[in-house]
Parts: sequence; C-alpha cells; structure tokens
Amino acid sequence: MSCERPAVTLFNMFLVIASLGMAAWILGRDRARTMFARANRRGHSLPSQHASYLALWTVAPAALFLFIWPFFSDRLVMHALLSHPAAKNLPTTAMDRDALISEAMGLADGTLEAAFNPMAQQLAKPIGDAIHTYTILGLGIAAALVVAGFIFGYFRIKPDFRARHKVEQVVVSSLVVASLMALVVTFGIVVSLLFETGRFFELVPVQEFLFGTHWSPTETLVPGEPNGFGAVPLFWGTIFVGAIIAMAVATPIGVMCAIYLTQYAAPRLRSWLKPLLEILAGIPTVVYGYFAALTLGPLVRDLAVAVGMDSPTSESALAAGIVMGVMIIPLISSMSDDSIAAVPSAMRDGALALGSTKAETILKVLVPAALPGIVGGVLLAVSRAIGETMIVVMAAGMAANLTANPFASVTTVTAQIVQLLTGDQEFESAKTLSAFALGLVLFVITLLLNVIAVTIVKRYREAYE
Amino acid sequence: MNKISEIVADTVRQPTDWSTAAMRRRIRKRYLFERLFSGVGLLAMVLAVGFLGLLLWVMLAGGIHGLSWTFLTASDATDPAQVGIWGALKGSLLTMAVTAALSIPIGVMTAVYLEEYAPRNRWTAIIEVSINNLAAVPSIIFGLLGLAIFLNFLHLPRSAPLVGGMTLALMTMPVIVIAGRNAITAVPPSIREAALGIGASKVQVVFHHVLPLAMPGILTGAIIGMARALGETAPLLMIGMRAFIPTPPSGITEPATVLPVQIFLWSDEIDTAFVEKTSAAIIVLLAFLLIMNGAAIYLRNRFEKRW
Repeated sequence: MSCERPAVTLFNMFLVIASLGMAAWILGRDRARTMFARANRRGHSLPSQHASYLALWTVAPAALFLFIWPFFSDRLVMHALLSHPAAKNLPTTAMDRDALISEAMGLADGTLEAAFNPMAQQLAKPIGDAIHTYTILGLGIAAALVVAGFIFGYFRIKPDFRARHKVEQVVVSSLVVASLMALVVTFGIVVSLLFETGRFFELVPVQEFLFGTHWSPTETLVPGEPNGFGAVPLFWGTIFVGAIIAMAVATPIGVMCAIYLTQYAAPRLRSWLKPLLEILAGIPTVVYGYFAALTLGPLVRDLAVAVGMDSPTSESALAAGIVMGVMIIPLISSMSDDSIAAVPSAMRDGALALGSTKAETILKVLVPAALPGIVGGVLLAVSRAIGETMIVVMAAGMAANLTANPFASVTTVTAQIVQLLTGDQEFESAKTLSAFALGLVLFVITLLLNVIAVTIVKRYREAYE
Repeated sequence: MNKISEIVADTVRQPTDWSTAAMRRRIRKRYLFERLFSGVGLLAMVLAVGFLGLLLWVMLAGGIHGLSWTFLTASDATDPAQVGIWGALKGSLLTMAVTAALSIPIGVMTAVYLEEYAPRNRWTAIIEVSINNLAAVPSIIFGLLGLAIFLNFLHLPRSAPLVGGMTLALMTMPVIVIAGRNAITAVPPSIREAALGIGASKVQVVFHHVLPLAMPGILTGAIIGMARALGETAPLLMIGMRAFIPTPPSGITEPATVLPVQIFLWSDEIDTAFVEKTSAAIIVLLAFLLIMNGAAIYLRNRFEKRW
C-alpha cells in the first residue's frame, strides 16, 4: 500500500483540468465549424462560443465535484476506519481518539515517520487503504462526469443552438457569486467572533470583562470570583496610545501638512512631497514597531529618567504613541487635503479679496468650512490607530497598567490578542476565547467609528455640491 | 447691521490713513503671523519627511553590513552568524502567490459585477457597504477569522502559506474591488455604446473592451493591495506562521514563515547580533515594497489613458 504522499496534488489536478478544458474547447470549435460548413450557413453563435460551452460542460461539473468530494470522503474514511476490527479498542473519550486518529492519518500519508502510540501504527494501514479506495473512487466519478459532460455538450452543438446565451449566463452568474464573497466574509467575521465570544461569556461573566480593572488571564477558572479578565486596563491602554498620544502627534502635523501642501507649496514641490508622504503610509507596521522599540524606546526612557521617574522601562505608551502618530500622518493629511480642496474657491477668493492674508483666509474660512471633512479624517485615523497591532506589541509592552503616565508601559486590545493566541494553549480555554471577545469589541468600535466618519464626510460633501 | 453701515459711512467720508504708525504696526503684525503660519506648515512637512528619512537612515546604517550572499540564501538558524532570509522570503512569495490567485480574480469579478451589471437595489447596497467596511476592518480581525474558520473549522494545515494567503486575500480583495471599480468607471460610456452598436453582447462589451481598457488601473490597485499584504504581520501571527523554520518551505501546505514575521521574531531575540540581521531583513522587505510600488507607478504613468 502506498505510504508516500499522494501524487494527486492540487496543482497537478489543476493542470489536468485545464488541459481537458483546452482540448474540449478545440474539439468544440472544430465541431461547430464542420456543422456550420455542412449546413452551409452561419450559426446563431460563433464557433468559439460553442467551444466555450463544450469546455464548460466538460470541466465545470467535475471541478465542482472534486471541490466538495473531500468533505464526503473524510466522513467515509472515518466510517470505514471505525468499522475496521483494529478500531474496536480505541479509547472512548473523544479527545484521545481524535489524537490517535490524527497520528494514524499522519502515518498513512507519510508526514510522520514513526508512531508514538503503537495503536496508531495498527490503524495506519486501514486508514491508508480507506484513503486510497476513496481517492480512486473520487477520481473515477470525476472522470465519469468529464466524459458525460463532454458527450452532452458535444451533441448539443448545432447551428441553431444558442451557445452564447448559455455561456454568458454562466459568466454573469459567476460574477454574482464572486461579489457575494464580500458578504460571506463579513458574515464569517461576525459569526465566528460572536460564536467564540458567546462561549467565553459562558465561562466569564460579561460585567467582569467589560468593567473589571484587573487583567491577568489564567488557564484555570474559579467560578463565582473575579478571574483576571477585567479588560478596562486594555481599553484604557488602547485609547491612551491610539486615540490620545497618536492623535496629539498626528492631527496637528497632518492638518498642517495638508494646509502647506494645498496652500503654500509650489506645484513642483507638491509633486515631490505628496509621494514622500505616501511612502510613509506604505511602510509596514512591523518596521515602525522595530523603530519604536529600538530607537525611540531608549530615547523616551532617557527622557523619563531626566524628568525624574525611577526605573522606567524602554517600553512605553509614549514611544508607541508617537510612532503610531507618524504612521497616521499621511491618512489625516490626505483626508484634510481632499476636504480643503473641496471648499468652493469663491469662498477663498472672497476672503482674499476683502484683504485678509493667506493665513487668515485659511484659519477663518477654509479650515472652518473643511472642518467636517477633517474631523471625519481624524475619526478614521483613530479607528486605524486602535486596530494597529505590531507597533504596540513591539513598543508598548504587555503590562496591563491602568495609568495616565506616558512613560509607563501599557498594553492594548490588539497586543493582548496577539499575546493570548501565539502560545500553544488549548483552543477551548477561557484565555484563548477571551481573545475573540476582545476582537469583537475592537470590530464593533472600529466599525462604529468608520460609519460615523463616513456619514460626516458625506453630509459635508453634499453641503457644497 | 446699523454699526456696519456707520463704519462704511465713516470710511467713505474719511479714507483710512494706512501710513499712521498704528496701522503700520498692525499690518506688520499680520504679515508676521502670515510668515509664522507658513513656517509652521513647512515645519510640519519637514517633521514628517524628516521622520521618514531618519527611519530609512537608521535601518540602512544598521543593516547594510548584514547583507551578504549567505544572508540572502540561507534560512533561519539559532546562530546569528548563520541566519538568512531566503526561507522567509520564499514563504512570503508562496503566500503572495496564493493571495494573488484568490484576491485578484474575485476582486476584479466583483468590481465588474458592481459597475456593469448590478441593479440599484438593496442587495447591491448591502454588498457595497460590506466591501467598504471590510476595507476598514483591522487586519488582526482577519487573523482571528482565519484562526476560527480556516484552522479550527476547516482543519487546514497550521502555519502554511495556503492559509496565510487565504487570510491575506480576504484583506486584499476589498482594496482591489475599490481600485477596480474606479478604473472601470473611468472607461468612457462611448466605448460601451460603440461596441453595443456594432452588435456585441453585454458580456463581449465588458470582456473585450471595458476590461482591457481598465486593466492598467486594476493592476495598479492590485499591486498596491499586494504590497500591503506583503508587509502585513499581525494576521499571520494568529494563524501560527511564527514557527522556527530552518529549511525553506517546498509547497503551500508546508509550515513557513514570512518576511515581516521573521523581522518580528528576530527583533525579539536577546542576542545583539540579531539587531544587524533584523535591519538587514527590513532593507530586503523595503526593497521589495519599493519595487512593487515603483511597478505600480510605472504602470499608471505608462498605460493609463485619460479620456
């Protein structure tokens, strides 16, 4: 029995299907041409459209079948295994049994060299046999579908057959299916977050999570008592770094950059400076995080020593917040740029004609008129900042402190999600599930901020259109 | 109102004498503020660009000596003198291949449907809203989704470029849809009408005329989306692509790591010899991003038509 990896890889399968489709296409085109020549007139559809029709019938049913077959074959393999005599004395607890079966699976497909458990060794052969049988069966059914589809399509090619309509129906419905992907993903996010959060709140009360001030998640839970799942320090850390320090850096610099670019910079200078800001936006966050931890962190620590803090850490809210602010500058700048440019030029010209200086025009006319757009940009920036992960993981630390001291180490929602999910812990534990609860809070808040920001910007645009 | 008309009447009777000392002082003050204000604007710009320069300089100065042929061709190791970037780079390339293979077709098809076919109804509105929201969802949430659905529900292999690529594809798809829609709207209606006029079907109009003309714009958006995915770290940490991988992955189902995650892992090492390696890895990552963004700008300038 084969103990090597199956030769039927995904890529080979794809190659086979593609070449079958191509062959069917060529046969279909020739068939349509001969039919047209024999009938001595042109058909309703072009030969190439008949060819596509035939190729679709040849390939599509088999491809769909191969896509869903693994779900069935896994069940069938499991069924075959459990009815095998060697499976009689499998452990009864579901967890042990699953571990044993997955070990045997590993042996059967060659990813494992030797068994840890002798029983897995016994099971490996029946599993290998079953997998082999059902792989052959699946390929056989697929081949039959290819032949049947080809024959069906081949004999429908006639001059009067409306192949184009059929093919275009398939094209348009595949477009519809593709566009539904976005809905499926949104739905998937909401459902998976809600589901895992629900399981978390079965273990830990909601009020402890939302209002508790002590965060130190543990594996074992003591029912009826606080278990260190109070997320308030994380919420505060997130707001402190993302919404306060980062915005204190990014808002003035971003807005002034936009004002300088739109009102003062010569067009040539502007065409150089704008791409530079875009580069700032394109730098990966892990690079920012490394910079914050390596360069800015020690500087901030020295500053903390200078202002008289004892034993400061190099991980601080300030270092993370400043770098995050810099990361956000391009976003605020481009949003402000757009909204300043959208102010009708009559307002600007009017103010200048009355004798106000450029600065007075900007501060008293342009900025107030563009304010909704700027505020919208800042809200979008806040939502980006609180969802940012790597900078805080690398530079803000993991200590859940409830402090307003910018030199102290704080932690954020995103940093804790990373912390909770990158160990090798049980998936079912409250510690792991709490990461999904944090994720849900993050998702809801960023979504709300975005909706508010987009509404503000849209209203403002309508006001001037 | 009354007061203003009085002032106006006053001004008409006696034109302001701009040469008095008080007036000159006032004008000087206003011009000083003007200069100060534009100076603050310039300062903001200098700060932003200066930070970029500082960041690039720190990385270049710290990492340029870490770049060597061994570094570019070796994989991760415990000894900092032996480490290299090739394993992570190959992991990144495999992941990007999966991401591109999934997100570009789906993204372009969605953009075509929304721009060319979708009726204006509630369903279309819901799809549009969910695409715009997905573009704004924090990347770590996609990591949670990948962990819950791809790993725990579908039991796909952990740490593999397949799952990493699928997760990043969900993130990249909205970016491509938005860029694709803009590129498709920019194709003038006269092209569609001309094609329809000589008897092309709707599908032929879209696939023979609109899509080829919109291609440069779509590709630009796709490259920018892929560049963002290449620099992404957090969602890949969630699905376990942070394992120690001493040999480059040979396929999309093998355990692998990617460039940004490798940078993160090395930055956590205690051995100071890793500092140089981390900066060197950042240089490689930034070089790739520069090439991709350069390609996007080139495509945009070279092929984009203005109608």
